[in-house]
Amino acid sequence: MKNIFYTLIMCSLFLSCDSNEKKSNEVNLYSQRHYSVDKLQYENFTKLTGIKVNVVKANADELIERLKNEGENSPADLFITVDAGKLQKAAELELLQKVNNKTINNNVSDDLKDKNGFWVPITYRARIVVYSNDRVQKSELSTYEDLANAKWKNRILVRSSSNAYNQALMSSLVANLGNDVASNWSEGIVKNFARDPKGNDRDQVKAIAAGQGDLAIVNSYYIGLLLSSENEEEINAGKSVSVFFPNQGLNERGSHINVSGIGLSKNSPNKENAIKLMEYLTSDEAQNTYVNNSYEYAANPNVKPSKIVQSWGTFNRDKLDLNMLGKFRQEAIRIFDKTGWK
Amino acid sequence: MEIKNKTFKVENKRWVIGSILFAVLLLLPIFTLFYKLLYLEGNSFEYLWKNLLLDYTFNTFYLIFITTFFSLLFGIIPAWFISNFKFRGRNFFDIVLYLPLAIPSYIMAFTYSDILSYTGPIQSFLRDNFYSISVFFNQDYLQIEVLGIIMALALYPYIYTVSRVSFSLVGSNYINISKNLGLSSFRTFYKIILPLSRPAIFSGLFLVLMEVLNEYGAVKYFGINTYTTGIFRAWFSMGDVGTAIQLSIILLIVVFSFFYIEKYYHSKTKFYYKTNSKIQSLDKLIGLNKFFVILICSIPFLFGFIIPLFFILNNVFLTFSVIDFKDLFQLTFNSISVSSIASFLIITIALFFLFIEKISKSRVNYFISQLISMGYAIPGAVIGLGLIMMFTYIDKSVSFTFLGSFSLLIYAYTIRFLAVGKSPIKSSLEKHPESYDDAGKNLGLGPLKLLQKIHLPINKFALITAFIVTFIDLMKELPITLILRPFNFDTLATQTYEFAVEEMIPLSSIYSLTIILIGSILLLILKNIINKQINVS
Repeated sequence: MKNIFYTLIMCSLFLSCDSNEKKSNEVNLYSQRHYSVDKLQYENFTKLTGIKVNVVKANADELIERLKNEGENSPADLFITVDAGKLQKAAELELLQKVNNKTINNNVSDDLKDKNGFWVPITYRARIVVYSNDRVQKSELSTYEDLANAKWKNRILVRSSSNAYNQALMSSLVANLGNDVASNWSEGIVKNFARDPKGNDRDQVKAIAAGQGDLAIVNSYYIGLLLSSENEEEINAGKSVSVFFPNQGLNERGSHINVSGIGLSKNSPNKENAIKLMEYLTSDEAQNTYVNNSYEYAANPNVKPSKIVQSWGTFNRDKLDLNMLGKFRQEAIRIFDKTGWK
Repeated sequence: MEIKNKTFKVENKRWVIGSILFAVLLLLPIFTLFYKLLYLEGNSFEYLWKNLLLDYTFNTFYLIFITTFFSLLFGIIPAWFISNFKFRGRNFFDIVLYLPLAIPSYIMAFTYSDILSYTGPIQSFLRDNFYSISVFFNQDYLQIEVLGIIMALALYPYIYTVSRVSFSLVGSNYINISKNLGLSSFRTFYKIILPLSRPAIFSGLFLVLMEVLNEYGAVKYFGINTYTTGIFRAWFSMGDVGTAIQLSIILLIVVFSFFYIEKYYHSKTKFYYKTNSKIQSLDKLIGLNKFFVILICSIPFLFGFIIPLFFILNNVFLTFSVIDFKDLFQLTFNSISVSSIASFLIITIALFFLFIEKISKSRVNYFISQLISMGYAIPGAVIGLGLIMMFTYIDKSVSFTFLGSFSLLIYAYTIRFLAVGKSPIKSSLEKHPESYDDAGKNLGLGPLKLLQKIHLPINKFALITAFIVTFIDLMKELPITLILRPFNFDTLATQTYEFAVEEMIPLSSIYSLTIILIGSILLLILKNIINKQINVS
């Protein structure tokens, strides 16, 4: 008994200790993205270059915290998020370094780029309005601002304000229209809620199908996911709504978008490999893989969205500097709290 | 330092000091966190108070109330029937009522919200066949009350386990006496058994409460703001460390109040179970009573296990063609190895502390033993961050990188789950009369021999129970693994969560099914052990 006991202790100590050997032919990612398509991309990259891709996946804020504390010892080469705000935050905390690479610069659209050069967009998504085909006419819809109008009382569905996508949308309103207008808007939206914010983006669409509300604010790619579901009822729910891109009128600013992006960490130990991966992920080939597997929009202007996404038509993007989505984050959350958007 | 406590025994001094050092090691990340937070302080209490605190407090306590109510209901009543009556299916229910523990509460919540949703099987079926009824069922089910019931379905086995053991151990003597005094079966239960089992039930309830306070994924999905979601939101989204620390302190105060209540009940009704030579004769149920009892016992099993399992199986079937079995095998291996190593360490450490508490009888050790359980109440991600901060300093001063290593992950698991491993060992140690220790000491056994010769053998079942319970909890663990894991390390739980959070529940089903299957097998083993325990006593 005693011997078994000691052996087990020794074994567990032995197994739990491991040194982080440094190998040069690899690249280390801290990533907020954890879609199946990402795994595919990294596998393709390894096949092409022989560079091994190591990934830690977690929430962006937690990864930032980890990067910050690891400092110079950080093994991370790249930081990948699904929110420009988090990249801006990482840059502000001096966790990233500038990348000036011709290939990457040529690969992505100018208006999606970081003005300061700290991060590179890989895909983008629009936060749009979907509406019930039965109960709403397209002509009734116009802008995000209009959703605060009393005519939508008890009809709007949206998820909780803890969600980063909602926080980014509110930040864009603060940046574009100012704090007071954004506060009033939030107050109006809260009054128009069909129910307390809850669930995920898909649930909002299902709630429209169920008749619990008429409009929902959701990310574009979730509609794609719903329409390609294994469950026929979910496809029906997806078909019972239509997609509307807000703020498309003359002299209007365009629909709110956010990017999934990638930044080179300040102390990147495998910088060369990291830049190769950035080049690859923005290339036509990898960008095509993204759009065909995740219903996102490609940051590379040469690459067209998937068929389902194309069927919603084209739209004008809000040209706001995407760093503002991080800059105004605190103010956005305070507005949510003060106006009771749960 | 001179210790003046009279009950302190010199011979155990080394052990006591050792345990203090060990406890410091376990509490260090939490201290680091508070130390660091105090430096970063921002004064936002007014903001918190004005806008959020009332909502957070109300939701937290309301959710606790509902989950407590239903988990007591699902746990105690079947335990009472099974401990006291004979009916067909009794043995079957006694086994399967444990099984919902194998389903992580966030999976239970995601699964039920899918089952109940507009596009789920129930509403779709009704819509296609009984349209007029379907209108009635078309409700918004993402409500705090629904979540409370779902959490109770996932957590009631904590209460069932302790009640079942306690009801059986309280034993026939008390029951016979009360029957001779003319008390009805119900009154015996209410007046005698329940009060005598209160400490045991409360220790089970304590685990339920900690799980509820810690729950993040399910609570966030249901759009309910609790202290825990508040901490995450303040700290991560807003970078508002001041608010996060204030909420953490409030959360800790709540936890300590529950600690105190448990301790109070415990000290008030301390007694030792007498060994029961006579096996209690069970009343046989017939007719309507039998039907009623079977119905009551089926409810928690059906809703807590069969329905979610069936739904998950169906999803596995739908996505069968895309399952990556190599990946599944790797993740299963990861989950099992990391959970067993950590569980083993946890029960070793738990036994160490409890044993010292028992032999030293010192207040210091009693206090330490309570304190190290605190980790269970702290949200996993907060512990993770505490460790990151702590090891930032350490890694800089030594050339070894602990961050991102398995050892750190396991260290974090130990801090968080020590209480889980401690609980069964503690109740087992308490059941054995002090005279064992005295006899051992009179025979000249030192502390180590006492442990080896007496306590290890007589608490054998409790140790295995502790191992299994901890293992299952670790296999379900999410936030710590997410934040501290090494490169390329996925577990069944993290993979399940990643799909679920991306709103691809069907793809997550094979991973959750594997968690549930492994958990169920272990629970069946556990059940066997508990049965032996009941029979042995």
